Amino acid sequence: MVDVSQHELVPDHTILDGDEIEGVLEEYNIKKTDLPKIKRTDPALRDLEADAEAGDVVRVTRDSRTTDRAVVYRLVVE
Amino acid sequence: MSAQGTPQEIGQISFGLMDPEEYREMSATKVITADTYDDDGFPIDMGLMDPRLGVIDPGLECKTCGKHSGSCNGHFGHIELAAPVIHVGFAKLIRRLLRGTCRECSRLTPVDGRREADAEDKAEQRKDHYREQLRRAKELNKDPSDVLKSAIRECRKVDYCPYCGAKQFDIKHEKPTTYYEIIEVPHGELSKRLERAMDPPEGEAVRPTDIAEELDDNDFGADRIRELLSGSYRPDRNDIEKLKNLGRALGRLNDLDELDVDVSSSAEYLVEEDMDKLMPSDIRDWFEEIPDQDIDALGINPERSRPEWMILTVLPVPPVTARPSITLDNGQRSEDDLTHKLVDIIRINQRFMENREAGAPQLIIEDLWELLQYHVTTFMDNEISGTPPARHRSGRPLKTLSQRLKGKEGRFRGSLSGKRVNFSARTVISPDPTLSLNEVGVPDRVATEMTQTMNVNERNLDEAQRYVANGPETHPGANYVRRHDGRRLKVTEKNCEELAEKVEPGWEVSRHLIDGDIVIFNRQPSLHRMSIMAHEVVVMPYKTFRLNTTVCPPYNADFDGDEMNMHALQNEEARAEARVLMRVQEQMLSPRFGENIIGAIQDHITGTYLLTHTNPQFNETQALDLLRATRIDELPAPDGEDEGEAYWTGRTLFSELLPDDLNLEFVSSAGDTVVIEDGQMLEGTIDEDAVGAFGGEVVDTLAKEYSKTRGRIFVNEIAALSMRTMMHFGFSISIDDESVPPEAENQIDEAIDNAYERVQELIDVYERGEMEPLPGRPLDETLEMKIMSTLSKARDTAGDIAEDHFGDANPAVIMADSGARGSMLNLTQMAGCVGQQAVRGERINRGYEDRTLSHFKPNDLSADAHGFVEASYRTGLGPKEFFFHAMGGREGLVDTAVRTSKSGYLQRRLINALSELETQYDGTVRDTSDTIVQFEFGEDGTSPVHNSSSLEGPTVDVEEIANRVVDEEFEDAAEREDFLAREEGPTNISEHADDWWMEAAGGD
Repeated sequence: MVDVSQHELVPDHTILDGDEIEGVLEEYNIKKTDLPKIKRTDPALRDLEADAEAGDVVRVTRDSRTTDRAVVYRLVVE
Repeated sequence: MSAQGTPQEIGQISFGLMDPEEYREMSATKVITADTYDDDGFPIDMGLMDPRLGVIDPGLECKTCGKHSGSCNGHFGHIELAAPVIHVGFAKLIRRLLRGTCRECSRLTPVDGRREADAEDKAEQRKDHYREQLRRAKELNKDPSDVLKSAIRECRKVDYCPYCGAKQFDIKHEKPTTYYEIIEVPHGELSKRLERAMDPPEGEAVRPTDIAEELDDNDFGADRIRELLSGSYRPDRNDIEKLKNLGRALGRLNDLDELDVDVSSSAEYLVEEDMDKLMPSDIRDWFEEIPDQDIDALGINPERSRPEWMILTVLPVPPVTARPSITLDNGQRSEDDLTHKLVDIIRINQRFMENREAGAPQLIIEDLWELLQYHVTTFMDNEISGTPPARHRSGRPLKTLSQRLKGKEGRFRGSLSGKRVNFSARTVISPDPTLSLNEVGVPDRVATEMTQTMNVNERNLDEAQRYVANGPETHPGANYVRRHDGRRLKVTEKNCEELAEKVEPGWEVSRHLIDGDIVIFNRQPSLHRMSIMAHEVVVMPYKTFRLNTTVCPPYNADFDGDEMNMHALQNEEARAEARVLMRVQEQMLSPRFGENIIGAIQDHITGTYLLTHTNPQFNETQALDLLRATRIDELPAPDGEDEGEAYWTGRTLFSELLPDDLNLEFVSSAGDTVVIEDGQMLEGTIDEDAVGAFGGEVVDTLAKEYSKTRGRIFVNEIAALSMRTMMHFGFSISIDDESVPPEAENQIDEAIDNAYERVQELIDVYERGEMEPLPGRPLDETLEMKIMSTLSKARDTAGDIAEDHFGDANPAVIMADSGARGSMLNLTQMAGCVGQQAVRGERINRGYEDRTLSHFKPNDLSADAHGFVEASYRTGLGPKEFFFHAMGGREGLVDTAVRTSKSGYLQRRLINALSELETQYDGTVRDTSDTIVQFEFGEDGTSPVHNSSSLEGPTVDVEEIANRVVDEEFEDAAEREDFLAREEGPTNISEHADDWWMEAAGGD
């Protein structure tokens, strides 16, 4: 199958480790469930090194028209 | 909280089903008679208008709370239904529960009792799983009904109950409120054979007792066999086996071997499907047995909502105040639709009871039951598909409960989101260039009607008395006063003088609108925030609202009969907020594209173009006249002298309106470069790109880098100056301005004839079959495209020829050039050639078979047979051309009509989806449940209004801002340089570091 993560329009997805997640949650003063969601079956997560599981948080780093880089976090759900 | 007490603060709201007991408890009275009023016009006790249900007639007293009409909110009553009926609103949930629970023991059936071992344990596990899913759905803000749906989907598949092992049947739902159980009944053939056994053509007849004896089964006696014969028999869970035995027994008794084989070989043969109607009472019994923990596993709180409450046994009767009757002119009473419906319900309810007591046959009872169900259904919703709506005598469908709430005119969208307000006015708008863009001209008759509250104190006492003394009809007057004791007195022509004497500090005076008051002004459709802005009042004679023409773009208003609404603000906070946030000048920059939306339009642009394009000279009188409507009353040094008379150029006069330190350089829409240095315009043309609405450079820069106020002053003055300029030069347009000399006309004709020839050549090539198709296109499309492009080139050529013959002073050219109005295409069509008419992006191809009009031969591919209009608007179109033109024009009209309705709906959906999103103080955008939507507003956290509008460079130019701040810090460049470049030399460095020191100091 095509590895969509190689496509130029698909931004970088990386899974955060526990400390990083804590950092993000603290920065925005939120619970994990307040994050935007991404499905576990999302093609962008399929070809990551580690398999994403429900409850993980991924960092999406995309090119932005207004800022060079826009960083967004998403909670992986079923 | 008492039943009548008004809640002061709502802590929380819980939704659930209502216990019939609760209906009875809150009921003020039971309603038993369908009558409303007696012959004397008094409400009948225990009737639909019982005085205990509240009062609507003034003077009467409520029998429940003792209050009078107006203060009594009304009280619910109730009707005891003769038989349970289904609540339509829950038809779907009822169906789901029927499908998901066991028909015998009413428990949830997530696991098949026959296929799985330990079915009970597994079923409990599944229920725990549902609860877990519900918890997760709640956490993720998802819809818990999705969990219910998937749980039911699982439970429905099961054939045998995991708890009691009963066989489960499928439920068929016939909309709106009928449910059937698809059960298995003994096959018709079986009873036929039974009959044959009992009445054989030969041999001895068999009696049911014989069969029972042969069967030798205590459960299956002669009675069951008689039931089977009469057709009232229903197999229960283990009957299949018994029926097989019966088949065998029959075979033995009758010596019918083949029957034996037939019947026992296949179980399917023994039973067939039959629809068994579930009466609401059956369903109620079924639901009553569902255990609380099973309800809970589906996400329904059993304490608040027991499923059996979805089947009504008591019907609440809404208070009279919710269904007031009206007295017509002739004294006849006309009842509310809800009352009519309740009358129907009570009548049927009574007939039902009477019939049942009289022991009427089952068929009649069932009919009445269905009728009662129909009336209760339509009482709640009269727009159910598949049910004829209940109608008024006149044939109009009744407006029942859900119709009151639903849709655009319903309670939510119509009454709650769209309230009607006082202190508002609506009238036609018209232009007034003498007003500031912040102002609105308010007709005196509006100003005398709309009031502002004045709190009288020592300092404004005289003023207040003056208003009151003027009375309600003379303009700066007053309509009402409120005394210390709270009594409100109307100011009339008669009592005004007298009342004015009495006014003292502490009173409130409702005075008329006067100049300088702030009001809110709005034009529908309110598509963006600039559709509602605050204006300052200028009271004027006549009947229209007057606007400065520069505020037309934000409102999207014109003066062809547009009406606008005005709202007078009623408290100080509102007025302050409106003045600070909503005033027109604060809205100059549009958040949509971050540039100014208010600026010069149309004639203003033509005016500045005339003033600056050729840079004309004016003598002193003329120059002062041009600037007379601005704040400039002294001319700068003249630009020179002409025949001994000093003159000023247009650009100099324009520069007078600019701030002295403005520096700008940009390309105008006329195509030349505008240079502004130190507030002096040196070259270029001021046109749409400089001062226009929708991003005029100068206006945009002033509003962003100076202030909104500076921008407002500039736009006002530009409008004034350019209107004066227009008057100075004079500006008009006529048909002659679009005419071209005969030689140009000949050239145009020639160009079009050439095109015709080329089209004919293309057609010939095509017909000879020599045409090369374009990639990816069939031959006929290729031909079409080539013809289209040839003809479009022809029109462009015609336009170019026409343009060549128009002078630069041609008013239409000036307007197109400056961007004031119209385009060169419009000019081309007026002077040269209208060109190809299109429907659906193609040449016109419709009409008759193989031709567009009967004037052409079939399959004529030529230009004029497919809507090419050779004429210009000035010369006038031929009949055929006119017809084709109308076809194209009609498509345009239809498109706009369709587009507005489509985009309106899209807009509504977007607004509803986004309305609760809010940027928080930490820069994130979140919805009401604090879920993050954007981590940084717009990814860059900046408002489009505060960004630089230039396309190149960073959106927020930090360096530029830093420079500006530093520049402001220091008085001159030297001081700044001194501060920024100052560098402390290193001290006390060891001599070993001399090499380094020499290098750092820059040289040997």
